[in-house]
Amino acid sequence: MRSPALTSLAGALLAVALLAPAAHAQNALVVSVWGGNWKDTVEKVLGKAFTAKTGMPVEFEVGGTIDRLAKARVAKGSPLVDLNFTTTHVARLYISDGLYEKLDMAKIPNAKEIAKEAVRSDYHLGSWSYVYTVVYRPDLVKEDITKWSDLWKPSLKGKIAMPDFDPSHIITIAALMEGGNEVTWQRGEGKLKALKDSIAAFYSTDAQSQDLMKTGQAPVQVMLSVNAYHLQEQGIQVKVVQPSDYPGIVGIDTMAIMAGTKKSAAAHQFIDLALSKDIQSELVKALRAGPVNLGASVPANLKGQPGIFASAAEWKDRGYIMNDEARAKNLPGWREWFTANIVKK
Amino acid sequence: MKLLLLPALAVLAVFAAALTALFRWSLLEFVPGSLAPGAYTLANFKGVVAPQYLHAVWDTVILAALTTVLTLAASYPVAYALARTPSRRVRSALLVLTLAPFFTGAIVRTYAWVLVLGNTVITWPVPMLFTERGVLVGLIHFSMPTMILILAAALSHIDPAYERAAASLGARPVRVFWRVTLPLSMPGIVSGGLIVFAWTLSAFPTPELLGGGKVKMIANVVKDLGLDSFNWPGAAAFAMLALALTLALLAGAGRLAGGRVT
Repeated sequence: MRSPALTSLAGALLAVALLAPAAHAQNALVVSVWGGNWKDTVEKVLGKAFTAKTGMPVEFEVGGTIDRLAKARVAKGSPLVDLNFTTTHVARLYISDGLYEKLDMAKIPNAKEIAKEAVRSDYHLGSWSYVYTVVYRPDLVKEDITKWSDLWKPSLKGKIAMPDFDPSHIITIAALMEGGNEVTWQRGEGKLKALKDSIAAFYSTDAQSQDLMKTGQAPVQVMLSVNAYHLQEQGIQVKVVQPSDYPGIVGIDTMAIMAGTKKSAAAHQFIDLALSKDIQSELVKALRAGPVNLGASVPANLKGQPGIFASAAEWKDRGYIMNDEARAKNLPGWREWFTANIVKK
Repeated sequence: MKLLLLPALAVLAVFAAALTALFRWSLLEFVPGSLAPGAYTLANFKGVVAPQYLHAVWDTVILAALTTVLTLAASYPVAYALARTPSRRVRSALLVLTLAPFFTGAIVRTYAWVLVLGNTVITWPVPMLFTERGVLVGLIHFSMPTMILILAAALSHIDPAYERAAASLGARPVRVFWRVTLPLSMPGIVSGGLIVFAWTLSAFPTPELLGGGKVKMIANVVKDLGLDSFNWPGAAAFAMLALALTLALLAGAGRLAGGRVT
């Protein structure tokens, strides 16, 4: 026979179990970010410091760039998260769809200390930087690679990998080599076609890129600097090239506040904390990415490395920053052209 | 009794709603640099019949057909041994070996093939990794356990007395196989073939990892359009096209097979 008291107790426990996470989320600042090392670092370096400072817990929603964008779009008006990390050109899509709240810069005093390149719009601010550059394994590639144009050497035929999800880096480099840029990218079409036979593989994820490098299937890559440093940490001998002919293509990850959030004030505080010198210095060490706060300290082993910009002059001279809007608009067309002319056998 | 149909109808309604939403998206204009679609248009369907996309459709159909035939050829002897061996030990060992791949995820298995098909473990006389050949090997390996189980079930339903009768009338083993065993196992061959063909048409992780971006099947193109180009209407149009093609191919294969499905 069932006991009414036990049944009531079980019901109460079930209700608590079901409602507790929701109640917790109501009190917490919910941050959307990529999984793996990105989330772990943001949680360890930034989330804990934010909770210590404000008493507010931080929860995370993790996922890929586009999964999170799709979720944000279907939750438009009543967002599931309060603050979002994404790449600067994808942030343009959020902005164009009205998913971001305009930032109140008076509430982000640390923004005055960041590089002007990191102020991406009235809606989103850079959190750290990196570059897409040439990375290679010297044990498998006998000659030195020092510039972008080395990729076209016949000796590298069948050894190169690059991302197929976003070919904008190599498209821009080819255009720059032919006197154009990302807007007049067609100038580089011939140059790109000449590279076709050198490409061993196209990778779709960071993990795939690292696996191709580890196994030696593609020992030369157009690669994210952060991933290259991660490989070095794992003991894989890779060289990250600071190209002498054209700079690396800069990537900036950004933070923004979701339109419709009820925790706008806390989200502003979070961004301000993220941009502070101390937190930026910690982020540099943990992610091996470049700081956006020009006063942040950079460990000696990272100073001057590709993707690490420690001064206004380095931001200006050592990386090429693409126009976000042009990139967001052109990417579908670029991919179509790239698939038809470079990827296709 | 009709109430028992309600859960199935509810599931059907959810799928119908999802397909309707997909179809609606396929008719909306893609605006580069924006998530919001434009007006209704048929332009997406024109866009996805561009040569590079049709090439992916062609590659998919060819790979699915080759996978089906080669998986059948590789699986039949194993299934035969599984169904007919008198030794319990051999049967158990074969069953364990057949089922083992189910206990590792598709991604893990495919990553293992990346190592095997690359030149790190074996030096292949022809390139295997990032080619159709490599993708085909991965797809066959992925499909074999299911094919073996279906064929073994079909073979175990054949009364060995028919084969003994044929042999007693003077038929050699090869003739017994061609004239008795094979025709009687046809329901299993058709069922297994249709299942392998259907799921290979929608294969994603195997071509994604073993194709190295150079071998694109239908699901990879849908992902490229939707997730990499942000072209959700284009992805929806390509998915609708692929769905229509899949249904047509399966209907054709079903008609060819007649009623010979277990």
